[in-house]
Amino acid sequence: MTSMEKRLQKELQAMTKDPPAGVSVNTDLLSSNLSEWVVDIEGAPGTLYESERFQLGFKFTSRYPFDSPQVMFLGPNIPVHPHIYSNGHICLSILTEDWSPALSVQSVCLSIVSMLSSCKEKKLPPDNALYVRTCSKDPKKTRWWYHDNSV
Amino acid sequence: MASEQHAFAYDPEKNYDEDIMAQQRQIEKEIAETQPLVSGLFTFDDIVEEYTSEDAVYRHKIEDLKTRYANMRKTRGDGNCFFRAFGFAFLESLIKDPTDYSRFLELVTKSKDELIALGFPQFTLEDFYDTFIDIVKQVKSPGTVEKLVETFNDQGLSDYFVVYLRLIVSGFLQKKEDEYIHFIDGERTVKQFCSQEVEPMGKESDHIHIVALTKALEVPIRVEYMDREGLTCNAFTFSASDTSDDSLVKPAVSLLYRPGHYDILYPL
Repeated sequence: MTSMEKRLQKELQAMTKDPPAGVSVNTDLLSSNLSEWVVDIEGAPGTLYESERFQLGFKFTSRYPFDSPQVMFLGPNIPVHPHIYSNGHICLSILTEDWSPALSVQSVCLSIVSMLSSCKEKKLPPDNALYVRTCSKDPKKTRWWYHDNSV
Repeated sequence: MASEQHAFAYDPEKNYDEDIMAQQRQIEKEIAETQPLVSGLFTFDDIVEEYTSEDAVYRHKIEDLKTRYANMRKTRGDGNCFFRAFGFAFLESLIKDPTDYSRFLELVTKSKDELIALGFPQFTLEDFYDTFIDIVKQVKSPGTVEKLVETFNDQGLSDYFVVYLRLIVSGFLQKKEDEYIHFIDGERTVKQFCSQEVEPMGKESDHIHIVALTKALEVPIRVEYMDREGLTCNAFTFSASDTSDDSLVKPAVSLLYRPGHYDILYPL
């Protein structure tokens, strides 16, 4: 087993045994070497996204946990949020420059749930149209400019 | 080159991020291919060749270093150089003189539970801790400098070691939040600073990282600053406690700082 698989195996165990509220790994959609995961998340009660269901796709390289995972929303229901583009890409610093190998799938999911929970108005990012038209398929190939810590 | 630049026309409808990032990856790849994580020994006569004969200030300062240091090792310029240089140099010093080994092992063994108590997730922390302790124990098993060089050039092991040192610094700063909040720029909490500037790999170390690491591990460090000011290097000793007098401290590790980078120095 590679060090990436060993680490992900451990994370998977922790996530299935003791999943954080509103987060669950979709074990039917796990790839055999654990390099791709789908995580179901549910908007927290009392927030703008209450009881809405979303899917997050995770992709890991063999350099994980030194390389950050590629994380984006999948499927037909993409949350409308000022930091989430309509193609599923997420503007969140821990996914690129503030990633640390001590973070995990769980901490990424919790950050995304908390980002949804603190949202006060459902609206798309101001540059959504241009970004979605010109960006790479891989959100990690975007040089994100993090300028707003409030949501 | 100039004509290519001249021909470049910026297209606001195009996204250049991918090209720019590909170029950054290429630069990182070149650095990784040409610079070992921790090099063999260099003499100062090798180092002086890095500077042109017109570069009198630097050449003069290398002569100054020669009066106090025998030789040096270089580390890879990947943003982790301070942590890697410190880690290697300190363990190497323990191979040569194991007096401080037991104290150090006890202190770092206790650090795991302290970090978990501070909120670091146990299951990610454990991997880094286990590798870190294995490497520390190599010093006594019995340790050789050759084996240590090999370990520190194995990227998997070496990076795990660096991660754990970063977590120790983060834990120390968070524990002493009241004291260190005044040294953090921007409107950030100590925890935010740590998650942005300490814990991620490749983030360069500043004064505050060095102060925190020396105090957390109680290992004094001397840094020789080599910049364009003055004629000699400025040496600064980071003492391991607030009470000790710099002049009485015998640093366990000596590092050479050249703008943006740390290498390891060996005193005469």
